[in-house]
Order: sequence, then C-alpha cells, then structure tokens
Amino acid sequence: MPRRALLLKLLSAAILFGAWEVAGRIPVSYAFPTFIDSMRALLEMFADGTMIAAYAETLKPLAVGIAISAVLGIAIGLWVGLSSVFDWLFSPIFVVMQAAPLAALIPLLVLAYGIGLTSKVLVVCIMAMPVIVLNTSGAVRNTPESLKEMGRSFLASELSIILRIIIPAASPVIFAGLRLGISAGFIGAILAELKITPTGVGDIITFSRSIADYPSMYAAIFSIILLAVLFLNLLEKVETVLFEGNQRGYVSD
Amino acid sequence: MSILKILGRVAIAPAALALSMAAASADTIRIALAETPSDELAAFFVALDRARANGLDYEWTAFSDEELAIQAVISGQMDIGFGTPYAAMQRSKAPLRIIFQLSKLKFFPVTTTKYSALEDLDGEPILLHSRGGGTDSIANVIEERVGITFGERSYVPGSSNRVAALLGGRADATIIDLSNKNKLMRSEAAGDFNVLEMFDVEASDEALFANLNWIQENEEDVQIFVDALLGTWQDMAEDPTIIRQETDPDGPIGQLPQEILAELDGFYKDAVEGGLYDANGGGRKAAQADLEWYSSAGQLEGDPSELNIEDFWYLAPLDAAMK
Repeated sequence: MPRRALLLKLLSAAILFGAWEVAGRIPVSYAFPTFIDSMRALLEMFADGTMIAAYAETLKPLAVGIAISAVLGIAIGLWVGLSSVFDWLFSPIFVVMQAAPLAALIPLLVLAYGIGLTSKVLVVCIMAMPVIVLNTSGAVRNTPESLKEMGRSFLASELSIILRIIIPAASPVIFAGLRLGISAGFIGAILAELKITPTGVGDIITFSRSIADYPSMYAAIFSIILLAVLFLNLLEKVETVLFEGNQRGYVSD
Repeated sequence: MSILKILGRVAIAPAALALSMAAASADTIRIALAETPSDELAAFFVALDRARANGLDYEWTAFSDEELAIQAVISGQMDIGFGTPYAAMQRSKAPLRIIFQLSKLKFFPVTTTKYSALEDLDGEPILLHSRGGGTDSIANVIEERVGITFGERSYVPGSSNRVAALLGGRADATIIDLSNKNKLMRSEAAGDFNVLEMFDVEASDEALFANLNWIQENEEDVQIFVDALLGTWQDMAEDPTIIRQETDPDGPIGQLPQEILAELDGFYKDAVEGGLYDANGGGRKAAQADLEWYSSAGQLEGDPSELNIEDFWYLAPLDAAMK
C-alpha cells in the first residue's frame, strides 16, 4: 500500500513538472522558464551559498512567527473554546484578523513597528494565528458531550477532562488548523519580504525579477513551496506520534 | 443543464474572452504604466491627450511596479509599457524595443553633514530603492568610477520614504530623485544635509517600449504617439508651464489633489532645468548611454561597445518625428 502511494505521488510530481517543462519550452511567455532551467538555477544558488544565506534570513521571522502562532494560537484557542466569556472577547479579533486584506495593511504595520524583524514576525502571526485559534476553539467546543459526561461520572478532575478527553478528541481538527495556519505563515513570511523590505528569499525573488533572471526567480518560489510541503509532512509525523488514532491518510503524506 | 454542457461552456468561455480581447486590441492601444498617475506622469498624459486629438485611441492600466508592467508587455496583455527592460530584452530574448526616452536617471546622493564628498562614503552604509533597481545601479557605478566600496546597503522603496528616514535620523546617506532632493534642500532642515557632487548621467530611468512585432504592425499608431511625445517634450523644454495649462481637468492628473496640481509648474521647471527630460526623446545618444550604464550597473552582460543599439531600440518612429 505505501509503495503504491509513493508511486502515485511520484507520478503526479512527474506530470506537474513535465507540464511545467512543456509550458516553458513553448514558451507560454518569455518570462516563464523551463523546469530544468529553474532546477539548474536552484542548484547553482545552493552551490554558491546564496540560497543558504537567504534562508538564514527568511527562517528568522518564519520560525519565530510560526512558533508564536502555534503555541499562543492553540492556547488561546483552547481557552476560547472552553469559556464563552473568552469566546466573546477574543473570537471577533481573530475573525477580523483572518478577513483583513493584510497586504493593504502592511504600511500600517510598518508605521507602528518599523521595517525590522518585528513587523515581519507580526505578518506571519497575523496570517497563521487566526486559522489555528478558530480551528482549535471550534474543535474544543464540539467535543462530544457524552465523552465529557463519561469523564465526570468517573469523577475525573476538570484538568484531566481537558488533557485526557477534550484535547485528544479535538486533536485532528487542531492539527488541521495547524497545517492550514503554518502554510499561511509561509505565505506571510514571503509576503513580508516582498512588501516590507526585500530580504532572504523575497530578495532573491524581487532581485531576479528585476534583472530578468526568471529561472532563479521561479527556483526561489519553488524552494519555499518545497520547504512548506516538507514541513507539513513533518508536522503530520508529529501528529501520528502524539495521537496515534488520528491516522486517516492525508493527501499531503 | 447537464454537467457536460456546463463543462463545455466553462471551457469555451476563456477562448471567447481571448478572441474578444484580441478584437478590441486591434484599434485601442493598451498602455502599461509602472505606477499610479502622479505629478511625474503629467507630461506623459498631456502627450497622450495630444495623440488622442490626432486619432489615437488608448486605454491605460497602472501596475504596482515596473517589472509587472514589463511582464504584461512581454506576454502580450499590454501593448506599450513603461520602464527600462534592458535585462529582460537580453536575458529572456523577448523581442522588446524602446521607442522613446521619457526621463533620465537624475538621482542625487544626499547625506547628513557627516560627509561632504563621495569619497567619504567608502565603507559607509547607504539607503537605496531596491536591489537591482535604478539607485542600486547608480551606487554600483559610483563605486566603479570613484573607486570606493559602500558599506551595508539597505533598501527602502520610494525617495520620499528615504527622505523620511534621513530626517528621522535612521540613515546618514541615501540616493534620491530630483524633486525630493529639491524639497529637502528647500526645507528648513536643509542645513543638516549635503548634496554630494556627482558625475552627469545620461541613461534612461523611464522609457517607452513595446514588442517589435506589435510596433511594426501598428506603425501608424506608434508614429502618432511618438510625434505627440516629442512635440510635448520640445514644448515643455521651452515652457514648462504648458504641462499645467494643458492638463485635462477631468483626466487622471486633473483629478489629483489641488496641492499637487499647484506644484506642477514648479516640478516641471525644476525638472527641465535639472535635465530630467531630453527634448529629443533620447534616441541614439540615450541608447548608447543606456548600454554603457546598464552594462556597468550589471543589468546587461557583455562589452557595451559590442552591443547593437538596434537590438534594444527601434528608432524609426523617433527619426521620422524629428524630421
């Protein structure tokens, strides 16, 4: 079974990259490079260290933002899900954050927090946190009442009900929220680097575009997507280790 | 309706749309601006109005940056674009050609009074627009000609934002455009800053370009357009106030806030005095200067004397207009 899944994945990757290569060879646009050219540019950038230096820069806001969003997001989400007062207090903030056209609000963030790391971390958090909070709180609120009832009838403390019943029951949706939130965080990190000050991978994208080095531009975009996919796979492994019962076969595995 | 029918219609829609767009493009030329209309584009819109009076039908779209405008022209969604797509012409082999130089790269190194000459900036940090952009290329050429190496380069897009950084004490050296330099040096804070002496630059900052095939298929429209541009640029060189006089009050420039319109005369007077516009539309002189400039700035590869002007410029409309 796993072999077949792997084969299918390789097949779909081959089809996608094949279509990219064909589109680049036609070419659909002079500004669209072939897959092979892009991969060559990617390897060159890794070989001469450009890409590694860029990721050292990009991973700073990304890692800090995602760590804050995950920890704080799940904590706030649990809290909001458990208490109607906090639901009333916090939910609207995150709904607004999720719906806000962030790219248009970036000048406001820059005004308040400058052009440094703080603004970029905030962009990542604003992208990632709402999904995590709203998914977590929804999942907590929807824990089957009968399970909690059972806990109470076994005289479980409030804390054990949360730790042993609510969190495991909510974990599939919490992880779904984490996956969505973290993908949004990757988007946020690049958005910040394109819109605030070009650094890291965002800098490679804008710079290669301005000198019409399109293979490098698409290589940089490809690398960040690849990193996001790898990270989401890792997250899924973490989920299966923590909550074995959640294995239901995800598309991304 | 069956699912097949719906799918069929969905599949046909883009093709039909593309056909209708192709039909529309036959008589209306589509202009890709690299920024939203501002005081700097007033002269261009005056030229457009003159061209319209001579029968040119056009529509314009403002892109958020120059690279997007270039890509829209490369892919054929737009006919004429704004910018200096030398790198795109050479590297992507896109058959783009420049037909008119709109403005020159007139930028000025401005510093706090800590520095008084370009040589003092050796090893010092500098604030520029964007990596690979115009001010970055100026910094590269300064390094080459003056024999210095700047320290860390940081990037803040927009001359006015860099002036704000200077005023806020967050930077000691930057490179800004003519109008912001004038504003700063005429303000009360002028005593705290120096404009450093720099060599003259004849290269283009903004130029008008299009796909070669499109230019050749629309010779007549292109000629009307270039005639109007050249006429406007020559009239402006004699009397900069014609821009304000001829600005259509209902057009995109006429709709700008009153404070900006009130400063149009001053802006164009400074610009003409400062040599921002070439009254002859650039032509061979600008093309040669561009090849040298963009080679030393790293946007073009190869020896500039071996590069062929005809691979980058299409001079026939400008030559005809000059007669």
